[in-house]
Amino acid sequence: MDPRGGCTRVPGIGSDWEQVRALIAGDRAAFAQLFRQHNAAMVRVATGITGSRAVAEEVTQDAWVAVLKHIAGFEERSSLAGWIFTILVNRARSRARVEGRSVSFDAGGEDNSLAAAFDGRGHWKDTPALWEEITPDRIVAGRRMLDVVTAAIEALPPGQRAVMVLRGQQGLEAEEVCAILGINEGNMRVMLHRARLAVRAAIDRLER
Amino acid sequence: MLGLNCKQVVARSSALIDGELPFWEALQLRLHMAVCKGCTAFVHQMRVTRSLTLAAGQGSPDDDAALAAVLARLASEGRDAG
Repeated sequence: MDPRGGCTRVPGIGSDWEQVRALIAGDRAAFAQLFRQHNAAMVRVATGITGSRAVAEEVTQDAWVAVLKHIAGFEERSSLAGWIFTILVNRARSRARVEGRSVSFDAGGEDNSLAAAFDGRGHWKDTPALWEEITPDRIVAGRRMLDVVTAAIEALPPGQRAVMVLRGQQGLEAEEVCAILGINEGNMRVMLHRARLAVRAAIDRLER
Repeated sequence: MLGLNCKQVVARSSALIDGELPFWEALQLRLHMAVCKGCTAFVHQMRVTRSLTLAAGQGSPDDDAALAAVLARLASEGRDAG
């Protein structure tokens, strides 16, 4: 576990290069592995940007084709995952622009999602309870909890959604997430926190 | 309550679980949590949220069909180019 993101570590440059060499050599198994590692996350990020799952799937397919066409030009300025998501986000934003959709990754104004939870002195009005019903066994036993989490992530604004997927699910380094989305680190942390608050609220509703 | 109130702890909870708070700030949060059940529960909830977010991102049953579509497109574009 990565203490910062709770994620499996992004492959280092060494293993990236092994994957890159295999892709250049036309190794289908290596491509399939890379595809399964990132495709679903790419569709989730692109859906947030384009506003349409169908368009996102097209954009993601285009991005994969571009990745394979240009893989020989990959340089170690980013991780392979960072490079792939940069291609994806650029294509998704271009497509959104063509369709007249304006996408901003700004953190926006103040978050008020928990405004009613505190009294005037900033103390809890209703004390949160431990989620004693959520155990690893229950999570493994049923997809329902994970479906709720996925639905909550899909309901996030594009920036929060992208940060949650890239940082919270794919385990990209903070600097890479900022570079891909063109945001600063402070904004990224605010968006990650707000995204987690929204997902936490969805789980809490299920628990009550 | 020991420097920080609950609202301030909540605002720093992501940074705390991600290990991104400076030592003294993290210590202030932990001191607050030592005497505040609500914030202890909330930070626990945020940790569970982080774990469930990670678990929800693992793979997708649609991957195989999408992979086949990309490979078919590459084969088709290769033929067109040739």
